[in-house]
Amino acid sequence: MEKKSAVYICTGCGIGDALDIDQLSQIATDEFSVPICKKHANLCSKEGVELIKKDMADEGINTIAIAACSPRVMYDTFDFEGCIVDRVNLREQVVWCQKENDEDTQLMAEDYLRMGITKINGMELPEGYKPEEEFSRDILVVGGGLTGLNAALEGAKAGYSMVLVEKENELGGFQRNVKEIAVSPFKEVTANDLPALIREVTENEKITVYTGSTMESVSGGPGIFKAKVKKSDGIAEHKVGAVVLAAGWKPYNPEKLDAKLGYGQSPDVITNAMFEESSVEGKIARPSDNKDVENIAFLQCAGSRDPKHLPYCSSVCCTASLKQAIRVKQQNPDAGVYIIYKEIRTPGQSEDLYRAAQELGIVFIRCQDPEVKVDGGLAVEADDELLGERVLIDNLDMVVLATGMVTVSAFGRDITKEQQAESDDEEDLDVPLDVIRRSNLLNLEYRQGPELPALNNDFPDSHFICFPYESRRTGIYPAGTIRRPMGIGTATEDAAGAVMKAIQCIELTSKGAAVHPRAGDMTFPHFEMKRCTQCKRCTVECPFGAINEDEKANPLPQPTRCRRCGVCMGACPERIISFKNYSVPIIGDVIKSINIPEEDEEKPRILVLACENDAYPALDMAGLHRMKYNAWVRVVPLRCLGSMNLVWIADSMSKGVDGVFLLGCKHGDDYQCHFIKGSELSEIRLSKVSETLDRLALESERVRFEAVSIVDYDKLPAMLDEFAESIEEIGPNPFKGW
Amino acid sequence: MSVKVDPNFMKDLKAFGLTDANKCMHCGNCTAICPLSEKDTTFPRKLIKYAQMGMKDKILQSPEPWLCYYCGDCSDNCPRGADPGEFMMSMRRYLTSRYDWTGFSKKFYTSHIFEYAAVAVVAIFIGLLLTFFHAANPNMEHAHINSVWPAPAVEIGDMIMGTILALLLLSNTYRCAKFVMGDLWGKIPLGVYIRNAWELVVHFLTQKQFSKCTDQMQWFVHLMIMTGYATVFLLVVGFLAGGIHVIGLSWENLQFQRDVIYPIWHPWRLLGYYSTFAIMYGTTYAIIGRLKKEKTPYKNSHGTDWMFLILLQLTTLTGIFIHFTRLLDWPMPTYVLYVIHMMVAIPMLVLEVPFAKWAHLAFRPVALFLMKVKEDYKKDMDTFA
Repeated sequence: MEKKSAVYICTGCGIGDALDIDQLSQIATDEFSVPICKKHANLCSKEGVELIKKDMADEGINTIAIAACSPRVMYDTFDFEGCIVDRVNLREQVVWCQKENDEDTQLMAEDYLRMGITKINGMELPEGYKPEEEFSRDILVVGGGLTGLNAALEGAKAGYSMVLVEKENELGGFQRNVKEIAVSPFKEVTANDLPALIREVTENEKITVYTGSTMESVSGGPGIFKAKVKKSDGIAEHKVGAVVLAAGWKPYNPEKLDAKLGYGQSPDVITNAMFEESSVEGKIARPSDNKDVENIAFLQCAGSRDPKHLPYCSSVCCTASLKQAIRVKQQNPDAGVYIIYKEIRTPGQSEDLYRAAQELGIVFIRCQDPEVKVDGGLAVEADDELLGERVLIDNLDMVVLATGMVTVSAFGRDITKEQQAESDDEEDLDVPLDVIRRSNLLNLEYRQGPELPALNNDFPDSHFICFPYESRRTGIYPAGTIRRPMGIGTATEDAAGAVMKAIQCIELTSKGAAVHPRAGDMTFPHFEMKRCTQCKRCTVECPFGAINEDEKANPLPQPTRCRRCGVCMGACPERIISFKNYSVPIIGDVIKSINIPEEDEEKPRILVLACENDAYPALDMAGLHRMKYNAWVRVVPLRCLGSMNLVWIADSMSKGVDGVFLLGCKHGDDYQCHFIKGSELSEIRLSKVSETLDRLALESERVRFEAVSIVDYDKLPAMLDEFAESIEEIGPNPFKGW
Repeated sequence: MSVKVDPNFMKDLKAFGLTDANKCMHCGNCTAICPLSEKDTTFPRKLIKYAQMGMKDKILQSPEPWLCYYCGDCSDNCPRGADPGEFMMSMRRYLTSRYDWTGFSKKFYTSHIFEYAAVAVVAIFIGLLLTFFHAANPNMEHAHINSVWPAPAVEIGDMIMGTILALLLLSNTYRCAKFVMGDLWGKIPLGVYIRNAWELVVHFLTQKQFSKCTDQMQWFVHLMIMTGYATVFLLVVGFLAGGIHVIGLSWENLQFQRDVIYPIWHPWRLLGYYSTFAIMYGTTYAIIGRLKKEKTPYKNSHGTDWMFLILLQLTTLTGIFIHFTRLLDWPMPTYVLYVIHMMVAIPMLVLEVPFAKWAHLAFRPVALFLMKVKEDYKKDMDTFA
């Protein structure tokens, strides 16, 4: 494509009042010889857009830089098909955060225009990735419990063919043991209508059901997954577009509980799960002699919210115990029913259930550390915090321990340890490895491991606030209790949510576009394999396991799995990975286009490499609030700070930039990075930058990393000013003018 | 030693008017908001916990129900609708029944049929008694009550009844005091009691604790009923025949039941008017309140609450009617009304004072007084320690 470029400068929103627009135009026309440079008082208006469209039609313009507001606004207005567009942020990040009609402000605007024009000169129009293999729109659901059944049904209702794989010989999962359920808004305990749900699934033509089957293997990627189902009588193969993983949970092993809870010491001390199983037949009776229950105690948080066992709350045990307690009261209204709890946690409308149980006269005792006595009749001793005294509940027929939920992905060997043993001889970048257990759920044929990586407590979740249902493997969406502990209502919703994500993934991938969080991005990474040194950094660092490896350690990119964050591009020491509109040379040129004033002008320059998901919008917000900050900064947005290649720092330093400020997201356990490890990786890489600086005989304080979130916008101006001051103290970069 | 739990106690309390206390989740808002709850005697939450756990002994030893005047702030601020105010009310009913060693009170509170029957039996007995036992030749020309039921004779009956009632009430109050003092019973020197005796009088007469509640109208109404009732009680019991006639003390001019019409400025007449007004005002306010159910303390009414108000108001109303028929000098209507008046007043006194709602006139000031005694004693102990 032959490029015909144009620059449009908007003078609205105060831009025209704060800057010398004619002088600014000269950058485009004189310095870069852009044939068309026009200004307009209101570029986002109908007339403004028409002006651009007219030039596209009449002059054949196909590459434009729009110097106006932030790229985060008006993106649909300035979306021109078949046209390369870059936005120069003159409003939020120049005139709204700098002094009006000031020399430094003008210089800043000019630099941003230079950077924008340089960028469009380097950019190319992307073409979406089309896999060679046949594209499938079917969805595989692993797990035929409540979530899996609902997921299969929801997908089928949306018109997709579903494949449902259940390891047991019957569908239904744990719910098969549950006779009665409490639904919100709670009125009374109702019959579990699971059989109706199973019937609906098995009778649906769009759902293929495999029972007594497990996953032999899953390979490929979104749109082109190859799923092998291991049946009792052989292997069935399916091509699927996306996967919903609803493999469920297991009750926490009661054998591991503290001895003082009495498990194993009396047949009448059972768990909540055993209570459900035993009462499927109808009567709630004492296990040892089948006598009707007259006195029963429920002990909540048996091994839950306990660092020695499960550190988390399973969120449903309280509701379940309340339901079970109500059932005991229904069977025998005179029964003594006690619930001993740390805190009753009945989220949302489950509170109604709590109140109903109280009204039935169930006795609640708040105690952090109850003790079950089995000698001489079953009894529970508890320090009642609300009474301030020790309470004895004796003559008990049964004690029910409310054990928590453990995700099935928590079982199996952790491959991280295997990898660590292997990687002794490799150059170590200290990249923390994901926890992946051989839990025999999907058996992915991925270079990075056979299952989904865990986030916390072995749950295969991604960032749970921003991205529900997301895992770190594109196109595979965990749903239900494998993802986090939940009850029937939430699991049913979860099933629909995960299927929705799977459908989004299939539809976007079929167009060659990226999925969340860069949904719709048509670019994908290109590997210049001739120069690859098989260092494995891209395969190790890719947060989404999107790159396989052949036996010679050559990377085998799987573009439909790729989320387009560019972490591989930042990782590659040979700089062979690039996107059509985002590459090491493009951004490198953008940095180099910054005008570096002579040392005696006393105008230092600070390069800010900002994550475009949090730090960049935070800078916009600072402008929106008209907060002023240092005029020496030049901000370059990055897809993710993890895409930062160290060569950019070396280049800018050798060009005379005085300081580099990296703004990324918080990492660690509560990471906020959209791409999970991006900012963490960039900080690790930065620790290696001191070598580069040493080689240039520069101070390492010239480069700094700071984690910010979008709500930190009010702190950003002070951060930038403080960094500028420290750069001023260090003094000018001696490489200026070289 | 560990506390044993009785899960069925809350069910038993329903008969005493317990409504929603099961719903309590022990957030403690009620105790925090209560203007009367203090550091050593916190309520209502703690008491609700005792009840939920079925700790009858703890409740029996608790003075807290008597420290509550039921302003309703707790119920208004309860996030769970557990109605702690009404819970405290039912606690007072429960305690009254527990203090009563005869067991009569428990029956009276827990059975409506028993309650109505008891009132009816006493009323009919009094009616028959007055109809069949009267002076030989009643004055049918003028309304002279003494010509039918001579004041000294009535006063003898009065005294007998008063003594029995006083014995019952005092024995119940003694039990109240003993339970409330718990371990300290008999340990505190008499001097401390005497030193604080003034508290008993002050609380009895002024109910000053009630004035600390947010809604001072309730205090005023309560004070009206109490002073009106106490005044007329004094007149009837002390001065029906002009003093204690039986032992020869009698002053003609101080006779309450007399056939001459006192001049308007006569203190008995003025006091009578005050009492009539005060009781009528207070009971009407309370009856309307309980019908409308707008104020929290009036939302739930136990059968005994109604019985108390209705008997009191009927007694006063018949008293007013008698006053008028006497002024008009209508003999027969006066005598009939007198019988009715007695048929209402006597059951009220006999049943309510030792066994039911009226008993709180003794329990409450005694509990407050004993708390003061305890506090004073502890202060002494601290000083010595």
